[in-house]
Amino acid sequence: MNDTTVLMALVDDLAPVPDMLDTLRENGIGDGDIAILSGVPYPERVLGRPMNWERLPLISASGALVGFLTSMFLNAGTPMLYSIYVGGQPLIPLPPTAVLTFELTMMGLLVSTFLGVLWESTFPTFGPKYYDPRITDGEIGIVFRCPAHQTGEMGTALMAQGAQEVTEPEEHVL
Amino acid sequence: MSVETKAAPLVWPEEEDPREEHLLLDPRPRAELNQIVLDAMHRTGFGFWAAVTVLSLLVLIGLGGAWGYQIYKGMGVAGIRRPVYWGVYITNFVFWIGISHSGTFVSAILRVFKAEFRRPITRGSEMMTAFALVVAGMYPLIHLGRTWRFYWMVPYPNQRQLWPNFHSPLMWDMLAIFTYVIGSTLYLYLPLIPDVAMARDHSTGWRHKLYRILALGWRGTEAEWHHLKTAITIFAFAIIPVMFSVHTIVSWDFGMTMKVGWHSSIFGPYFVTGAIFSGVSAVATVLLIVRKTMKLEYFLRPEHFDAIGKLILIFSFAWTYFFFSDYLTEWYGGEAVGKELITFQAHGPVAPLWYLMLIMNIAIPWLTLWNRRVRRSTWWLFLVTIGVNIGMYIERYIIVTGFLQRNRLPFDWGVYNPSLVEVLISIGSLSLFMLLYVVASRFIPLVPVWEVQEGQITHSLRRIGRALVPSVAELE
Repeated sequence: MNDTTVLMALVDDLAPVPDMLDTLRENGIGDGDIAILSGVPYPERVLGRPMNWERLPLISASGALVGFLTSMFLNAGTPMLYSIYVGGQPLIPLPPTAVLTFELTMMGLLVSTFLGVLWESTFPTFGPKYYDPRITDGEIGIVFRCPAHQTGEMGTALMAQGAQEVTEPEEHVL
Repeated sequence: MSVETKAAPLVWPEEEDPREEHLLLDPRPRAELNQIVLDAMHRTGFGFWAAVTVLSLLVLIGLGGAWGYQIYKGMGVAGIRRPVYWGVYITNFVFWIGISHSGTFVSAILRVFKAEFRRPITRGSEMMTAFALVVAGMYPLIHLGRTWRFYWMVPYPNQRQLWPNFHSPLMWDMLAIFTYVIGSTLYLYLPLIPDVAMARDHSTGWRHKLYRILALGWRGTEAEWHHLKTAITIFAFAIIPVMFSVHTIVSWDFGMTMKVGWHSSIFGPYFVTGAIFSGVSAVATVLLIVRKTMKLEYFLRPEHFDAIGKLILIFSFAWTYFFFSDYLTEWYGGEAVGKELITFQAHGPVAPLWYLMLIMNIAIPWLTLWNRRVRRSTWWLFLVTIGVNIGMYIERYIIVTGFLQRNRLPFDWGVYNPSLVEVLISIGSLSLFMLLYVVASRFIPLVPVWEVQEGQITHSLRRIGRALVPSVAELE
């Protein structure tokens, strides 16, 4: 959108938020131009927002696979590279292999899940962003981009629906 | 049963008001919840500084002085002698690994089962896990004697062309603990991000800089919450089997030997049950202290200690079952060494400790924790849970050091008494755990405020027939 303005509506209650989102949509503002900031997690269906495809389980599974392959290298690769035969013991015994495979697979899964959150949320990012510290005090922020000529109209509509204030938000260095 | 769905008037006789009883039915504005937690973090009076000073001194004496002395003089200064080659260090290692089960059990298992009382106590328990693992992880290094040779256990290509022997349970141990340390630390940190963002928004100076870094730029967008909640769910499910594996593998350090008393297939579940028993007891002890000293009475209520008390009682039953099953098998088998070992426990030099263990782990919990008043009484529960951990420490002490005093042939019998160095190192490590917890409690929001508020949003009172009953809405 050219010549657009970013606005933030602050609301102290969840109840009017879905209706406010409908108002924005009715005025031609798509879901892609709207973000909800809140101090507690609200599922999409509560807010009436489209469901997002979550890639995190796939990332976690990939990490688990990396962990599994690492365990194969340590369990089977290193004994074959540097063989030491201990009386009567197989070079690659299955029960200890199972133990180590489990541990390394789980480590891969846990670490990749954490890294996946950082990747998917583009963390860490400390640069300036639209934010209001009152969000962590329980306010709900609806940040949206609208054509500059609609600013007043949007503000009036959202205030009528229960917004405490509708302003051009400051960009905070987080 | 008639179910009336319309909103019930919130009029309640004062003595029966469930809002006083249940944190999740007693909502307050988010700003107020934040302030209670922040005030608790900023409260550093005389008691705090006195505790930090005393604990720091004990850490210095125990870990700086005694451990340093042992490194300088060699393992001869410890009390371990053939045939008792595992002493207090391994006892402490097993004990602290056990304590580390607290956070995972309370946070992950109760989260998976949607036990709502968990909400305000998860962070405090997860912190215990992280710090207990720090202390536990030190003990293999202390026991190693030549600590600087630790890197021989790390798999990396080297000039000696040797790789660690992964057939050894000690290597399984190292990997399992390493996995658990990493997993628990990340599991502590992930749900902490929204709370450090809250602390960031309410702080200035160096605290603001610290929280700003830890919050990673958190704003609370839908996408951020979505990823976080998914990750927490994955972690909760994944860390449970890791938790089970850690103490099982610790038990295999014993079980894989051919030593009578240790070579038992029941040791895995027996150790895990004991670990959860002592871990959950330690959670109650620590949270009772936290509640009192940090003035968190709003968040930590009798209902939470009541629930923890029930868990402790259940795990006391379970531990007794495994203990008796292990004991009976040995006793009924009638093998000479096994009989000697049983006589040694019941009538030998460790008998006073053995009976004390039974009193602390079985008699006292069973006689007291069935009573709702005891479970909700700060002092009673504090004493019972301290007792359980004394009992569980003794259990590990007898298994590790007691069993090694009686072997297959009498020429291989021996005695063990911990040396002053071992005692000082043990006190130092206990002090380190307490010091880490005390200091971290002033930096880390001890109550996950967002989780509490989320619970308060989903809980309400509902009229069913003539009763107003607490009910919970399923948001997910």
